[in-house]
Amino acid sequence: MQQAELERRIEELHAASFGWALSCCRRNRQEAEDVLQDVYMKILDGRARFDGRSSLKTWLFAVIRRTAAAHARRGALHDFLLARWARREPDPDRPDPHAAAEQSQAAAALIAALRTLARRQREVLELVFYHGMTVEEAAAALDLSIGSARVHYHRGKQRLLAALNGARR
Amino acid sequence: MTDERLHQAFDDLRRSEGMQAPRFERLWKPRPARRHSKLAAAVLLVAVMLTAIAVHRPEPQPSISTWRAPTDFLLRTPGQELLGSLPDLKGNAE
Repeated sequence: MQQAELERRIEELHAASFGWALSCCRRNRQEAEDVLQDVYMKILDGRARFDGRSSLKTWLFAVIRRTAAAHARRGALHDFLLARWARREPDPDRPDPHAAAEQSQAAAALIAALRTLARRQREVLELVFYHGMTVEEAAAALDLSIGSARVHYHRGKQRLLAALNGARR
Repeated sequence: MTDERLHQAFDDLRRSEGMQAPRFERLWKPRPARRHSKLAAAVLLVAVMLTAIAVHRPEPQPSISTWRAPTDFLLRTPGQELLGSLPDLKGNAE
């Protein structure tokens, strides 16, 4: 694929990519921007190369997930060292206050319910419901077997519905 | 809540987050500033290390063959010369 064509298609996926980066970064907007810029850098300088074995979206989402995981590892080390220095405990699930302020009440309830799920369940559900992927495509983006992805999908959906129905009561 | 409501809730979230997305052009470009700051940090670190080494350079150690313990004088006891030589028994017998 030519560079110009690749750039055009990645630009078409930009909003969805940012949504997925937000999901991978526990909805921290600043971190999601950093991750997405790192992903674009990897593509621009050839460290990440699309070989056409899957759809562009599946490949791009897999790169975003791996880059976010690397960022999280570095962030955890940074938080740990900072916590030792400041004598306070790091908080990996701290939500971004700016992003939270911009969410509607329904969206905030959904995000709160998603936080109650296991990471894999949340990722599979977001890829299917938020990004319109099939469970098979979600499995490819997450490097999971299809069977495993299906189990995460069904259990995650049950827990999510229970959490949302519980919050509405 | 049903599947349909779930889809609707995710659609709402996608729309709300889609509006927060930064401009593509802002992210699709090299980030030279950070590379320069990393280089500057590395240079600063090396400079600090060199300064620390220069300031805390240890004094040259004396050779082991010339070194004397500061408590050597304690080993010099009165009458030590009697223990360092043999008595002349032959001279005394005559």
